[in-house]
Amino acid sequence: MDLTFSDQEIEFRDELRGWLDANRPGEEPRGDQDAAFEFRKQWQRSLFEGGWAAVHWPQEYGGRDASLMQSAIFFEEMGKADAPLPANALGLILAGPTIMAWGTEEQKERFLLPILSAEEIWCQGFSEPEAGSDLAAVKTKAVRDGDDWVVTGQKVWTSAAQYSKWCMLVVRTDPDAAKHKGLSYFLMDMEQDAVQVRPLVQITGEAEFNELFIEEARVPKENVLGGEGDGWNVALTTLMNERSGLGFFLQTRLRLLLDRLVEDAKANGRIEDPVVAEALGEMHVRTETLRFLAYRGLSIIEQHGQPGPEGSLTKWLWSETNQMLTQLAVSVCGPAALTEGEAWAHDLLRSRGNTIEGGTTEILKNIVAERVLGLPRK
Amino acid sequence: MRFDFTEDQHEIKRTAKDLLASRSTLEKVREAAEAGEYDAALWKELGELGWPGVAIDEAHGGGGLGYVELAGLLEESGYALLNGPFLATALCAAAISEAGSDGQKDEWLGRLASGEATGAFGLVGQVVPDGASADVVVVADRESGEARLLTGQGSLEGLDSIDPTRRYGIVEGGLPDGEPMPGDVAAAIDLGCVLTSAELVGVCGRALDMTVEYVKDRKQFGRPVGSFQAVQHRCAQMLLSTEGARASTYFAAWAADADRDRLPEAASLAKSAASKAGIEVTASAIQAHGGIGFTWEADVHWFYKRAQLDAAFLGSSAEHNRRLTALVSP
Ligand SMILES: Cc1cc2nc3c(=O)[nH]c(=O)nc-3n(C[C@H](O)[C@H](O)[C@H](O)COP(=O)(O)OP(=O)(O)OC[C@H]3O[C@@H](n4cnc5c(N)ncnc54)[C@H](O)[C@@H]3O)c2cc1C
Repeated sequence: MDLTFSDQEIEFRDELRGWLDANRPGEEPRGDQDAAFEFRKQWQRSLFEGGWAAVHWPQEYGGRDASLMQSAIFFEEMGKADAPLPANALGLILAGPTIMAWGTEEQKERFLLPILSAEEIWCQGFSEPEAGSDLAAVKTKAVRDGDDWVVTGQKVWTSAAQYSKWCMLVVRTDPDAAKHKGLSYFLMDMEQDAVQVRPLVQITGEAEFNELFIEEARVPKENVLGGEGDGWNVALTTLMNERSGLGFFLQTRLRLLLDRLVEDAKANGRIEDPVVAEALGEMHVRTETLRFLAYRGLSIIEQHGQPGPEGSLTKWLWSETNQMLTQLAVSVCGPAALTEGEAWAHDLLRSRGNTIEGGTTEILKNIVAERVLGLPRK
Repeated sequence: MRFDFTEDQHEIKRTAKDLLASRSTLEKVREAAEAGEYDAALWKELGELGWPGVAIDEAHGGGGLGYVELAGLLEESGYALLNGPFLATALCAAAISEAGSDGQKDEWLGRLASGEATGAFGLVGQVVPDGASADVVVVADRESGEARLLTGQGSLEGLDSIDPTRRYGIVEGGLPDGEPMPGDVAAAIDLGCVLTSAELVGVCGRALDMTVEYVKDRKQFGRPVGSFQAVQHRCAQMLLSTEGARASTYFAAWAADADRDRLPEAASLAKSAASKAGIEVTASAIQAHGGIGFTWEADVHWFYKRAQLDAAFLGSSAEHNRRLTALVSP
């Protein structure tokens, strides 16, 4: 057991801190979504120019070949610096690694650099009105027409689609094959009339996500990722990456939020109430436990080459804790936390999405029960 | 960073698990609990193996390893519900190492390390594991930062607790008469929290394993009850609680060895997480076993009872939560 960073890890962290000191992101514009996205795009450009856009990517594609631990440090430092997520987060975390794993040389050559530089924004077109938790039920279909595939169907909850040039699209290419077998994974150009994006307003009043109406959109056959019929396995690669280093970013954000709540409770005196003090302490335990679990998960992958149970537990613990913490803020801060436009009010509402996006908590529990504990399937 | 045991530490833990699986079976635990006494032969053997002294320094006859190794052993003894005064003796040795005078260390550490003497440690006004049967007892007062060393068996009054697998004592009133202790009493209490958390992690691990095994096997409506989602989600929650308590406890054990500045916070994080997990996981184990789980005959209740006593010992989850808030907001 050694819970200190190695010399290389410290060197890496200090280099990053030095860069962050010289390149502060500044204040993210609030209330104007398009301005905020533009701000995050600028931020990614600056990361890109500093060589920090995707430390976990291999050097040959513009990353730093960072170890898992370095990648965790990167996300922790970004969280601590209260830096925004880069605009192309879905490209950096999901599309890039999936293309590296499955792509042809031409595809890697074509797509990776613009992901890194935020020149081309990506979105994830998995969910559909009738295929959410049951992703393999997607109905959006594609039929072959010469060298192209022609795609028709509907996607939903597609985050950042309104800003995206490309979409990771899961479609049904073989209606006769078994459910998981008839799928393919396309890299679809969003800039065509056959793709209509309609923003969906969330409970926060913002519209991070969208509906996609796809009416005979064309995808050239060079833009199939993996082989025809490999869609399910390629999609699993994307989903596995969904729960990677980002967790450390979210954990540090959570810790900042807790520190803010403690400050608020001190300022208004509520911290003197033992019930409040106890509830704040519980959030402290959950937040630090999350951090320990995340680091332990990484160590176990590094030692044994395969993940232990921790990886499936952190997203679940984070999302629940974020909800509990923002709910606690309502009782600690009073009306201010329920006033439109206030940060706590926004955080409270946004937290309800955390146990749904990226796999619902119920689905995560199913996975833990069946794959980690080995309980019999239904 | 390596948030995991080293190969040597894994080996110590594995060997302990194997030994206890054969020498401290649940039938043995039951016999000992019903007879109201410990397995003396097993205790002698553990003493010869150096368990009680694993974290005591070599100059005082110990193994000179650390609290990480000791926590690993305590996790296994919690998993087995070891019938012997191991936790109490380890707590007492840690308290004397931190808070004792040179004379007290010379007099007691070697005998505790070899298992020749047994010890106990606890707080004023609270229940003390093995307090009634130990040869030497340290009683501390968190408020005043004082501690007393009491010698001679029966120096504390016995208490018939709901957990008959262990001999409990109780400290009523204020600090009892005894030898004053000059050292760091707060650190002694924090170490006690870490070591008790380690036992609780083992208790949770066993309750979870027993439950998973049972629900895979037990059939209702023509299929294993472990295929019902309500049961599955309960088990998943048990795993989350157990792994969270484990990660916090390992961090605290490491801080005890390597980063004393963080020990107070780490000890409370661990004790809060482990106490809550202990109570929830063992209660869930009873529920998932159905009627059988509610019988004296089945073994799950021993774990529930141990968890209750351990969770209250040296401060409940709620108390440690309040302490954590006080630490960040003095
Ligand atoms: C903020 C946000 C951003 C998102 N961004 C994207 C995106 O960019 N791209 C994308 O493709 N998708 C995105 N999603 C969609 C998200 O992945 C889905 O909402 C999620 O997978 C759940 O699917 P669903 O909404 O159809 O709910 P359903 O699957 O219909 O679930 C409804 C309820 O039933 C429960 N349930 C379903 N199946 C089971 C089961 N087997 N066992 C137990 N309970 C079950 C669920 O847990 C849930 O409580 C986003 C969602 C949100 C909230």
